[in-house]
Formats: sequence, C-alpha cells, structure tokens
Amino acid sequence: MSRIRAGELDVHVQRLAPETPLDGDAPIVVCVHGLLTDSLASYYFTLGPAFAARGFDVLMYDLRGHGRTTRPESGYRLEQFVDDLVAVLDACGVTRPVHVVGNSFGSSVAFGLAAARPDRVASVVAIEGEPPTEEWTRHMADGLADAKTRLAVDEVIGWIEANHGAHTARLSKAANRILQTTTIAEDIPRSATIAADLSAVRCPVFAIFGGDSGLAAQVPHFEASLERCRTVVLPDQGHSVLVERTAETIELIFEWVRDTSRDAVRVR
Amino acid sequence: MSIEITAADEVIVLAQVGGMLRELLEEYGLDDAEIAMDTTFHDDLELESVDLVALSGQLREHYGDRVNFATFIAERDLDEIIALTVGELVRYIVASLRATA
Repeated sequence: MSRIRAGELDVHVQRLAPETPLDGDAPIVVCVHGLLTDSLASYYFTLGPAFAARGFDVLMYDLRGHGRTTRPESGYRLEQFVDDLVAVLDACGVTRPVHVVGNSFGSSVAFGLAAARPDRVASVVAIEGEPPTEEWTRHMADGLADAKTRLAVDEVIGWIEANHGAHTARLSKAANRILQTTTIAEDIPRSATIAADLSAVRCPVFAIFGGDSGLAAQVPHFEASLERCRTVVLPDQGHSVLVERTAETIELIFEWVRDTSRDAVRVR
Repeated sequence: MSIEITAADEVIVLAQVGGMLRELLEEYGLDDAEIAMDTTFHDDLELESVDLVALSGQLREHYGDRVNFATFIAERDLDEIIALTVGELVRYIVASLRATA
C-alpha cells in the first residue's frame, strides 16, 4: 500500500507519473480533496489518470481523518491540513513549486498553502471552494454543526437512502463517524484565517464554479482582489463540479496548468 | 484446452486478489469475508472507492506494469465502479497477464 509517514500521520498517497513529461520538465499537480465524504478517489477516478496521460506528474493523498490516512481524534484546524500537505511534499521529495488543485474544502487548503508557503506553490486551482477567511470559518461552523446534528439521526439517514440511494446513505454514515469521533466540526471554524482582501495570495489562481452553487458569487471579489486570476462559471451546475462535469474540468485545468507553467519558464 | 487453462488461471488470480482484499478488510476488522467471483466490492464487501484505489496499489506491487488498473477504471463511470464484481477484475487481470506473457 502507498503509505508515507508525514509528521504524526500515515498518509495514503497515490502518485501517477507522466507517461511522457510535458515540456521535458513535467508540471507537478497536487490534488486536495473535500471534507467528510471525500477522498483521493475523487481524483483518482477523474482527472488523475487524464493528467498523467497528458504529461503531468500527479500527486494525490487522503487528508487527515479521511480515506485511508490516520484519523486522529483532534487537530483539524486548517493550518494543520496545510502542514500535512507540506509534509507530504517533503516526504515525496517534491521541491519544485506545485500546482495545487483543491476541490471544495481542498481549495481552502490550497489557498492556505499559497498564503503560508508561497515558495511551494506555482498556482492554485480552486474547484467550488473558498479562501480561508473569517467569513469562511462562519460558513464552515454552520455547515459542520448542522451536519453533526442531522447525520446522527437515523431517520435522516433513512431519508437520504430513500431519496438519494444506498451509496449516498453509506457515505453519509461515514461522514457521521468522523463528525462524532473527532473534533473536526469544532476545529475547522477555529482555523487561522487570511485577510478578506486576499492579499496573502500572490500566485496565479484559477477558480471554477457551478453556476447554481452559491460560491460563484465570489467571482467579482476574486477578480478584483487577486493579482493574477481566471474564473470560469459552468452554467446549470451545482457544487459537484469535479464529478458531474469531469471532462470540462480536465480540459480547463489542463490548459491552465500547461499555460501557467510555460509563462513561469518565460518569466525566469 | 484453452478454456481449462483460463479457468485454472482464474482460480489462481482469485486467490491472489482475495488475499489482497483480506489485507484491506483487516484494517476494518473484517478479515473473514467470503470472496468469490460474484462478490461485489461495494455492496458485499462494503469497500469504498478509496479502497479500490488502495487495491490498485497492491495490484501494482504484485503484478507490476502487466496489469494496469488505472486503465481498467478509466473505462468505467462511477456507477459501474460501484457495481463492480471481484470476477470482473479477476478476468481483466487474467487477460492482461496472458496478453503480456
């Protein structure tokens, strides 16, 4: 099994090497998944293999408490997720700046890394995500408290099974387990934050949103605040962009990473 | 003749894959699961997609480049992956091994 020791954790890592490195020196793409029901599988079964086939070096890992990585009882503030990511990069011998793709909460980790360790980040790709600002901690506090209360109720799981199927119900039960057995719901809202003006994020940012998701409302703020920023809103699409619009997402991110890497070479 | 060989190969590969699955299941405290060709990963073994990723790591360790699980998976959408049986994977492995023998 692909497990590496990163700090206090055994982290489940999957790396897909490029079939033929793009431009000789393959851009490194690190994929960060979302909270509770998510794992690196969301990338492994979507853009991971596609990127490796097109010449990127793809690194995927399970966040603390998720998938097949260690689940400590406590220690779930955003900065700890960011420290884990740095430890994973170090353990994998990755020293060049990476393109960090984040899905949902993974985007917040990506922005957090860009702010804390600008030397390690070539660009941030945020799929349906938010930078870790004060406002974000309030959204997370509400969402996590709500999930922790509701998912503990058997009737709620029954309703999910009847309306969304057995698979979703099982994912919900798994989400409930992490919520009830760890301090994740309490820790995330207490995370260190970055200023709302996003001045801490200096690298290029590419943000993809679903038009029907509330998060797309951040587009004007992103474009006004971030130095180098591109945004795309996919119409008629909710939060599950990565899984439901996989082909478009692969295309968009591939072009972004390729072009951003080439620009960086020219600037140097 | 060739059918017999295939059947024998399937028995061997099923035993190998069964061993890898038991190793994964052990971590959840479930190492006595019955694993047959018609066993489904999701409903019978209660494995999640991330467990299939871990299984792919074991397959790579065991068979090297001869079996490309990523390709096997890439050809299927998420619903098909959820419905996957052990037998489908075993037959794919047997075919891959024969193609590279």
